[in-house]
Amino acid sequence: MPEYKLVYFAFRGLGEVPRQLFSLAGVKFENVRIEDADWDAGKRPETPFGQMPVLFVDGKPIPQSFAINRYIANQYGFAGKTPFEAALVDAFADQFKVDFNTEFKKYWYVKQGDEPGDVEEMKAKHGIPARDSFFPLVVKQLKKSGSGFIVGDAVTWVDVLVANATDYITVLEKDLLNDYPEILAHKEKIHSLPGLKEWLKIRE
Amino acid sequence: MPTYKLHYFDMHGAAEVSRQLFILSGTPFIDSRISKEQWPLFKETTPFGHLPVLEVDGRPLPQSQAIARYLAKEFGFYGKTPFESAWVDALADQIKDFLTEMRPYFDVFVAGSDKEKARVEIAMPAISKHFPFFEKAAKDNGSNGHFVGDSLTFVDVYIADRIVTIDGMLPGFADAYPSVLAIRDKVINDPRLKEWIATRGTRRVAGEVLVDLRK
Repeated sequence: MPEYKLVYFAFRGLGEVPRQLFSLAGVKFENVRIEDADWDAGKRPETPFGQMPVLFVDGKPIPQSFAINRYIANQYGFAGKTPFEAALVDAFADQFKVDFNTEFKKYWYVKQGDEPGDVEEMKAKHGIPARDSFFPLVVKQLKKSGSGFIVGDAVTWVDVLVANATDYITVLEKDLLNDYPEILAHKEKIHSLPGLKEWLKIRE
Repeated sequence: MPTYKLHYFDMHGAAEVSRQLFILSGTPFIDSRISKEQWPLFKETTPFGHLPVLEVDGRPLPQSQAIARYLAKEFGFYGKTPFESAWVDALADQIKDFLTEMRPYFDVFVAGSDKEKARVEIAMPAISKHFPFFEKAAKDNGSNGHFVGDSLTFVDVYIADRIVTIDGMLPGFADAYPSVLAIRDKVINDPRLKEWIATRGTRRVAGEVLVDLRK
């Protein structure tokens, strides 16, 4: 078994999905959490691109959160059962990151208080359009797969990615996904999976 | 062999990498170009409402990077180990991050007014933020004309195409990054791409063309 060390900030952010994937796989990893204050003060670990997360595999670094997610998923069977399924997983993941989240986070950062702005205005301009462009695609795909998982008949890393977003969205804004009961049900399903279920109880 | 059909607009954009992967591997594919007029109707048939879309025996796959990775895996342009593949992915995502930061400059270049202001305020910072990391990655790999390992991966093709495109707007912008330019050079001088690079400007604007460069 390789030695894994995941290095990220001391919050969930882009580190949460890799942590959840390790938990799902039942694989031990060193969960290194860097305080904002230390990072800002220049006390930074070595990173290939000056950013985190970085996954160290037997001391060798892999940067970029999706490269990390896909690496863990490929090692432990969460990347889709065929090359085409793996590609569909990638497609939904990129749709989430590039098409949905770049828009949605303009609202979400204001909602969380990380950035200044008018919450209601940002919600109308960015939050709702982003939500209504992305989640119907996932619902359509869930109906197609019929398995409760987004691609194929087993959990993949994009299930973990989407369920994580559903989770942090509904924690802060309970009703935002009420028009998407399939998405809420999907989150319940993914977050009850063994390994992940236990992580969710102990995580910070 | 499956039937491949790649739909995109009549430009390099997000599809050229995948077109080049077909050419480099000697795999025939139907090169489908959608015109502005055809787009509104065609859009309704796509999985996510955007292009490119790759049809594999009629099954549609959206998202340019998912398409490129799928083809790269099929054709052997995805690194030799899982760790190498992860680095191909990481560099591809980092290039995409760079392009996202360049987007406002591209918009101004195409349709805006103060190109010089955008060059100074948007393009130069993005280039000087990201290219030193690309140069280091290329150097750490031995400055051998590849980002990862000792053979072509799709991220080499990706950076080469983007450098060619951006060089058209900002000539010489990457001159300070010789190991990265060596990657571009190796791709554009690849004999398998020669005919494609020489003739692609003369293809029809819209419609489907079977591209089969097998000799």
